[in-house]
Amino acid sequence: MATQAKTRSRAAGLGIAKSLLLTLPMLLLSTVLITQGQIPKDPLQLIAVLFTWLLFNISFFLMLFTGKTYCYRSLLFILMAFGLIVWFSTTVLEERGNIALSDENIINGEVPFCPLVIPMTIIPAAVTRTVIFPGSLLSGFAPIASMIVIWLGASLVVGRGWCSWGCFYGGLDECCSRIGKKPVIKNIDRKWTYMPYAVLLGVVLTSALSLSPTYCVWLCPFKAVTEYAAVTSTMVLIQTIIFVALFVGLVIVLPILTKRRTQCGLFCPLGALQSLINKINVFDLRIDTAKCTKCKRCIQTCPTFSLDESSLESGRPLLSCTKCGQCVDLCPKGAISYHIKGTSLNASPQAARLLFLYPAFLLMSAIGGWMIMVGFWRILKLITTGSML
Amino acid sequence: MSKVKAILGYTLASLSVPVLLATFFGLASWMNLLVAGTGLTISPWYSGGPVARTIDHATYQTRIHQPVFQALLGERREGFVQIAWSPREAVPELIDEEVDYNGDGQADFRIQLEKQTRQASLMPYSPQVIGLQGVYCLKEAWAIRASLKK
Repeated sequence: MATQAKTRSRAAGLGIAKSLLLTLPMLLLSTVLITQGQIPKDPLQLIAVLFTWLLFNISFFLMLFTGKTYCYRSLLFILMAFGLIVWFSTTVLEERGNIALSDENIINGEVPFCPLVIPMTIIPAAVTRTVIFPGSLLSGFAPIASMIVIWLGASLVVGRGWCSWGCFYGGLDECCSRIGKKPVIKNIDRKWTYMPYAVLLGVVLTSALSLSPTYCVWLCPFKAVTEYAAVTSTMVLIQTIIFVALFVGLVIVLPILTKRRTQCGLFCPLGALQSLINKINVFDLRIDTAKCTKCKRCIQTCPTFSLDESSLESGRPLLSCTKCGQCVDLCPKGAISYHIKGTSLNASPQAARLLFLYPAFLLMSAIGGWMIMVGFWRILKLITTGSML
Repeated sequence: MSKVKAILGYTLASLSVPVLLATFFGLASWMNLLVAGTGLTISPWYSGGPVARTIDHATYQTRIHQPVFQALLGERREGFVQIAWSPREAVPELIDEEVDYNGDGQADFRIQLEKQTRQASLMPYSPQVIGLQGVYCLKEAWAIRASLKK
């Protein structure tokens, strides 16, 4: 079976010349996106830019040449998450002097905005014309308007693909889900996959009623690796215990035990919102029911619990599919492929994959390129000067 | 019909790259357009709300913000008013001021703030003033928030 899968996957890859030719546009565009239009003068920064640029373009070339998507995407996705931690914490330390948030930081509007807040801001923004977040609309580090525009553009282009190509947190539980060979917990009841929708509904309603982003205040596990409120009261201490416990449970322990992205698939409210608005996006995945032998390998390995037996019958993954490419790469019969809505199942899957890969990879380069580059630069700086700042 | 759908599908798929590039390369313009077009501002629960009145002293100013009672619909029973003194460096070591937050000509509370110790005391004159919520050393000002009820 392994040989069969290898043969099929290699057959789906392009030749070296075609792969090189199709990588050329990415070479040019990624140069602009990763450098943000400026060639750095600092030699360490220049090394970091070159490393990141090569990393992205070699990965893209290999995606085309081998016909495999998941492993190269996953590498960049994980690096993006670790790059975020270094980039975010060093930038916040430079700008604010402290990772822990004080009341002053909140009143000054110095809290960087994050796309996870978006679902909670919609109702209050529509009713009161105010954004319930202590950030800045247009200036400073990660202003609110910039994140909203990027999220809108990304949602239009890749839909729920955001969660595997644009989200800078997902790489953390993806990394932990790749530790170990076999899952310890194999069967997870389907009802848990409704949890993100329940969390979404809960945080949207409570945020609207309290005019405060309740997910950020009470639940967000990623505060453990970004920023958090300084513990100045018992209530903040309880909030801290909750988010640290959620981080350890959902981002570290459960992904290791299940080999799945449990935070993304079972908890994230933005993921749930992305699933609901995925309809506006033109790309999806399809299963050729005639080719499918129902070996269920895809169901067992889907990182976000987006395939079940009903998917194999209907030929469509569930709403929560993040278009990560795992099932496409693993299917021994080549029955799963990227697809463009409106086209027939027999229309060229190669063309559909290419048309999806360009915007998805560009999104990753635009968001993750800078994070990986800065992360690498700061580490080089630490090695050579003894300080990341 | 299926051919039209397929053409539409491929057209939209081909537009994905230009849309994404326009998103990133035009980010500054889109951001300004979003904020100007929607008229969004930061929630006054965080920002302190717009400034209602400014009192000029010789070297510094007292900014009295609008009281904040904002709720999703209507207003809450309890809120606060933010009083800020700026520029931060020019503010005297000890502030002792009577504040008329609602502009009715009557002082509503007296605030005494010592910069060095960050200690403040608030004496309510009006039954709407509950007490002191906090003292804050902001980027450009010293500020306090006084809790209010309707």
